[in-house]
Amino acid sequence: MAETYPINIWINEERFKELQAAGLADLLKEELAGMKVLAVPCTAEERDKVLKLFPMAKFDAATTKSIELLPKYVKDKIYEMVVKRKKLQVMSEFCQLFEKAGDAFWNQEIA
Amino acid sequence: MEMIGHGGKPLVERVIADKTEAKKKIAGLKTMPASRQMATECISIGYGFFSPLEGFMKRADVDAVCKKMELADGTLWSIPIVFDISDKEIADYGVKEGESILLTYDDNPLAIFEVEEIFTYPKDEMAFDVYGTKEDKHPGVARTYAYKDKFLGGKITLVNEPKIREPFTPYFLTPRQHRMKFKELGWQRIVAHQTRNVPHSGHEWLMKHAYIAAHGELPVESMEVIGKAISGVLVNCIVGEKRAGDYIDEAIVLTQDGLKKHGYFREDIHMTTMTFWDMRYAGPKEAVHHSIIRANLGLTHHMFGRDHAGVGTYYESYEAHRLLMSIPREKLFITPIFVLEWVYCPHCGEVTCIGLCGHWNEHQKFSGTKIRSILIDEVKPTRLIFRPEIFDIVMDAAKKYGFGSPFVTPEYLAKAKPAFSIEPL
Repeated sequence: MAETYPINIWINEERFKELQAAGLADLLKEELAGMKVLAVPCTAEERDKVLKLFPMAKFDAATTKSIELLPKYVKDKIYEMVVKRKKLQVMSEFCQLFEKAGDAFWNQEIA
Repeated sequence: MEMIGHGGKPLVERVIADKTEAKKKIAGLKTMPASRQMATECISIGYGFFSPLEGFMKRADVDAVCKKMELADGTLWSIPIVFDISDKEIADYGVKEGESILLTYDDNPLAIFEVEEIFTYPKDEMAFDVYGTKEDKHPGVARTYAYKDKFLGGKITLVNEPKIREPFTPYFLTPRQHRMKFKELGWQRIVAHQTRNVPHSGHEWLMKHAYIAAHGELPVESMEVIGKAISGVLVNCIVGEKRAGDYIDEAIVLTQDGLKKHGYFREDIHMTTMTFWDMRYAGPKEAVHHSIIRANLGLTHHMFGRDHAGVGTYYESYEAHRLLMSIPREKLFITPIFVLEWVYCPHCGEVTCIGLCGHWNEHQKFSGTKIRSILIDEVKPTRLIFRPEIFDIVMDAAKKYGFGSPFVTPEYLAKAKPAFSIEPL
């Protein structure tokens, strides 16, 4: 299987309950003393796209191999999409929708 | 009282505190503006953070530092402290060997520079000797390549002391002030924790480990006064040039102090201060430099952990330990304490030292990257890995000083005020 590079979305109590209610709690991993994280995978192509679309983001090549420093509003939108689609593999669609809508994307509801 | 600094030499203090005298000394001098880096280094030289340096290095010192990791007189030194200048600036400001000039900052007088030597030095050699690479991806190498083509060497005298802005004001102490504070506290052994981070529990345990190691065979508390500590931890935060994604300095200083304010360390065994220094990310060589600064602050011990002051994959995790171990004890005026990583072990259900716990396969490492990611998401971490009060301080600092983020953003870089200013004399 091709290597993937996660965007880690950390889950608070409120979101955990929301994911449990939606039957999505099994998408979560536990890290650092029981903290819950949604590791949204990106293929190499999706990773490069994300880094291009969001230049403030960085790829941590040295340690975690994850995409970091995405602003909270971007991660919130990715979370919203994971919940809507009930799966983690959303980044291709996410990038497409953002490219199409531009900044208006942040105010749109995920269909 | 004479204070002894690094190299076993008297602590350098080249400051004219009397404004009238300072005005007399600078009268008639040619003036030249100093960059922010040069201004902070003038401040550090003047107060003795870089003792026994009395000024910017001359060629012989730079060469000895690069080739032998020592000053021309044999004193241990690992990073060149240089004042770069272009030919045009030399001509425009009329800089000449043997003459003094007045350096200004914010258009106000800062320091007298007795220019003893104007010299060149191959920047690629300097970069390779200090950083072990010539790749300009390394931020220290990039800084070296960005130096202008000539260097000025000579003594510095601070004529106008910096004004430190809030919230940093209580945290800036000169080496002399550090030593006076240690005396007042009655600390016999003081261990440095070098940081440019907001503390998670892994950092907290590194400090506790280092404290216990430094305290060594001393009694638990003073024999004379029960309940009075006789050793301490000094968190000395590095405040200097920032890169996007770094923690903002305000969050670093306030959260480190928060560990004491919220009782994770006793009031009388923990102290937070700051030192102006632009990180070079020189890994092991920077570790040596940090040990020099902290010896000048009057500390007896210095903790060195994993990946000390490194960047990317340029240095091995414990390369700083090996370099420090190779230095003869009589050349290093502080005792290094080498600590291994602290991790969360789900099997033990606690934060533990990687060198003690046998559940290797279960360890969850305190990745700084992960902690940053948690903070960006504004999710309050479990108190086992990050203290709730510290989280609140981070979020508060983000609002007050970080334009909404605890991390350096382009907006912070453009708008944040420097930690110090130089006011009219």
